[in-house]
Amino acid sequence: MQFSIILQQVVNGLSLGAVYALIAVGFALIFNVLKFSNFAHGGVLGISAYAGYIAANQFKLPLIPVILVGMVTGAILAVLVELIAFRWIRLQKGQLVYFFVTSVTMLMLLEQVLIIRFGASFESYPYTLVKVRVLQFGDVTISVTYLLSLISTIIAFSGLIYVLKKTKIGIAIRAASNDLTATSLMGINVNMVIIAAFIVSGMLGGLSGVLYGISASLSPQIGQIVVKGFIASVLGGLGSLTGVAVAAVVLGVLEVFLISTIGSGLSPVVIFLLMVVFLLVRPHGFAGVSFSDKA
Amino acid sequence: MTFYITVAISIAISSIAVLGTFMLTGMNGLFSLGQAAFMGLGAYATAILVVNYGLPFPLAILIAIALAISLAFFVGYATLRIRQDFFALATFGFGQAMIALLTETVTITGGAMGFSNIPRLTSPALAFISLAIAIFFVWGFRRSHFGKDSLAIRSNELAAEVEGINAFKHKMIVFVISAGFAAYAGALMAFHISYVEPATYGWILSVTWIIIVFFGGRDSLTGTVIGAIILLAAPEALRFTTAWRILVYCVIILLIINLRPRGLFGTWEISLKPFLRFFKSKKQQEAK
Repeated sequence: MQFSIILQQVVNGLSLGAVYALIAVGFALIFNVLKFSNFAHGGVLGISAYAGYIAANQFKLPLIPVILVGMVTGAILAVLVELIAFRWIRLQKGQLVYFFVTSVTMLMLLEQVLIIRFGASFESYPYTLVKVRVLQFGDVTISVTYLLSLISTIIAFSGLIYVLKKTKIGIAIRAASNDLTATSLMGINVNMVIIAAFIVSGMLGGLSGVLYGISASLSPQIGQIVVKGFIASVLGGLGSLTGVAVAAVVLGVLEVFLISTIGSGLSPVVIFLLMVVFLLVRPHGFAGVSFSDKA
Repeated sequence: MTFYITVAISIAISSIAVLGTFMLTGMNGLFSLGQAAFMGLGAYATAILVVNYGLPFPLAILIAIALAISLAFFVGYATLRIRQDFFALATFGFGQAMIALLTETVTITGGAMGFSNIPRLTSPALAFISLAIAIFFVWGFRRSHFGKDSLAIRSNELAAEVEGINAFKHKMIVFVISAGFAAYAGALMAFHISYVEPATYGWILSVTWIIIVFFGGRDSLTGTVIGAIILLAAPEALRFTTAWRILVYCVIILLIINLRPRGLFGTWEISLKPFLRFFKSKKQQEAK
């Protein structure tokens, strides 16, 4: 392969990885606090992507408001999911496996809502949303939508780091990730912290949904992309958000390279084999933070 | 009438796979997101061996089950020692890889178009007797020491190991058995509907089985079987469009898990004891 093509693939991979990182961090945030894999995140992501699509298509909003619509929808929806599917189980001190079951059910439910409203067909964001489509740097052609994903992700993560490190609510979320009971014994309203975590995770989900929708296309099954976040967060070692983000970017770059070399058909096979090898070599993920919990 | 029998056979076959999930997820607490892929593997392997190579149906089933078991061993060996998330992840990856392989090997499997013209060798008797044997097997499994060890591992793996249970070996055996169940169900299904396609066997199907187990109650075999019958028959009974149907289905499951976290049947099991007692007391009365 020529150098310019490789460079182009790297940029494509990084931007896909950036979207995966947004998904994975939103997913891992809830895992850190509540210790279960929140597949409903995919449903939140899917509905937000369609909300952004409606905002762009019917209300003709420009790019930044469209992204904001997606993020707000994501935040509201994530809170709704927590109230409907998780709060009651938590109050009854249900086991973690029940959260897993309800979260997957929520994913299926939200997917069906999209199918009922939009049918099984593919939609795409209006072409005019991003006016300049490609940038030319000598031999290297870079798609602006990919660049957009990359930049938005960097901005979102900067914001996230600020919130988690500097604000009171962020510190409370981190405390809750460490130990939920101890946090509540410190006089912190744990329910509010959990709601806040869902808001942050929903905003990340909404952003990733809109970005993925702009750079690829929309179908009601878009929510199933949450499994990329699942893969990245498990491989990254669920305890560490940085590890998760790194794993997601690696996954994105790997996928783009596999698709360009052996095609999209067989790439799941290679990814599975690499995953097994990785788990044998590093059983606790990139970051190596170990948890001893279930589901 | 034939329509109802066809539906009933499908439900019976799927219930066998659900029973596999009951042992793995319900009793051992392991979440396999690639369980449906074993069903797909069983379906394809049997169909190809019978249609393309002319092997007898029972022999083909045995080979398919052996194939599923060895693949399950491979997946389990890499992941059953470490955290449960990794097991869920690896089985998920396995499922995706399996579907990709079945879709890509067009010359053997027919690719995304599916593999058709499979003879309808699954008779109603075969399906129902298979289900009965499967139920009996799981019933015995639950009563055995081995099954009790499963429950011990589910509630506290460390404590179980301290008691002298080899958790890794135990989980491996259960995983392999459940993969065999799924593959057998797949073989029967392929020769029932006479058509297989890769997309059917995605992770959503595996999740559906897990949901069924929790719907009926993971501590109740009766609950799992009845739950399977209810939820698998629901799509046929609720004559909405597919999307509305699954929506209703999801709402019901959310309600059940929220209101009755231990499932519809909790720990209740159907048993013959009340009947026996009833007859005994009648006999005693007559004797008096």
